[in-house]
Amino acid sequence: MAQKEGRLARLKALLEEFYVSPYRGAIARARREEDDLFMLFVFSELMGVPNPAAYYTLELQPLLLERFHDWHRRQGLEHSPLDGFRCC
Amino acid sequence: MLNELLTRRLLFVGGKGGVGKTTTAAALALVAAERDRRCLLVSTDPAHSLADLFGRPIGHRETALTASLWALEIDPDRQADEHLETVKARMRRLVHPRSFAEIDRQLDLARHAPGTMEAALLERVAEVMALAGDQYDQVIFDTAPTGHTVRLLSLPEVMAAWMDGLLGHRERSARLGSALRNLGGGRVKGDDLSLLESAADHAEGSRDQQLNELLQMRRRKFVRARELLLDANVSAFLLVLNPDRLAVLETIKAHEILTRFSVPVTGLVVNRVLPPDADGAFLDARRRQEAPYLEQIDQIFSRLPRVRVPLLPDEINDMETLRRLGRNIVGDDPVR
Repeated sequence: MAQKEGRLARLKALLEEFYVSPYRGAIARARREEDDLFMLFVFSELMGVPNPAAYYTLELQPLLLERFHDWHRRQGLEHSPLDGFRCC
Repeated sequence: MLNELLTRRLLFVGGKGGVGKTTTAAALALVAAERDRRCLLVSTDPAHSLADLFGRPIGHRETALTASLWALEIDPDRQADEHLETVKARMRRLVHPRSFAEIDRQLDLARHAPGTMEAALLERVAEVMALAGDQYDQVIFDTAPTGHTVRLLSLPEVMAAWMDGLLGHRERSARLGSALRNLGGGRVKGDDLSLLESAADHAEGSRDQQLNELLQMRRRKFVRARELLLDANVSAFLLVLNPDRLAVLETIKAHEILTRFSVPVTGLVVNRVLPPDADGAFLDARRRQEAPYLEQIDQIFSRLPRVRVPLLPDEINDMETLRRLGRNIVGDDPVR
């Protein structure tokens, strides 16, 4: 009986995974796009896009530094667009 | 006549360069202090002249001038330096020491970017505005010439909107994140979530939370400053001008713009009007010139309380004369 329940639970998890995983990928991508856009706003000056709040968003940059490398790679820039942040 | 000026918590004194803003602001501040209201007189003009007017050093910190009058000259340079130092210190905690020099170089560039001074000034002005009604009964701002001031007053709206936009992105990202967690994201390999879920980025007390807190804090400051500024029970804007062509034209423009931004313009000080008893052919000619401007001012601004302040025979350089000038402006007694 216990064995049967265990097998059922495994089957349930497997089925769940089967149906859910495509959505998970899509949501993960949507979220990454959202985060990338946010990065663009905070680092827009580096890309030559004027940011009216540059002085205030500057204080966000330290918090985003770790994500910076992956972000600029995803934006199609192989090397850091910024002389100052030479992360690669 | 302009007595109600002294009942507001915040009073902004504006106008074209050189019309007598600093003198007017200082005179009103002395009257407020004389009435036992704790008053802070603040200069936002980068070319400060409060210290020169009072003949004593004032500077970046609140300095006591009389028993209930303090003065402050905002130094945007210093404000920006302090802000950048904080950012630098945070960056240093997060990057490899070999990048320190590069980060310093980067931030020093930001120091000289256009808009930095303005942003630093706005930050300080917003902080000082919050002192009114708390530490002080009244804060009087001796503002920079009109253009700068209008820009400064419109900034809180722009900045709050910008922060709203950024917060919107954070919110959508957080919603997607929680949807992801419900779908078991982060537990399963191969979802390309390593970046998103690693480094404790999205956890409690995490980077995300810190980002949101910083953004919220900024937003609150701007929204608060804007609310205070637009509340006619809290703020008053006094325009100073002289009876000459350029000052009248600029005042018309300033009044239009301030009205468009819903800033409550409360009154007009027409400064340096030639007194009737000033004699000589030269002064007669000048008086004939200023007459149509005085008339124009009365016509255009008929709905605003106005007060005329005569040109004085001597330069004002003592507190007693200033105080008398102030009493004259609020309508207590004439200058001469």
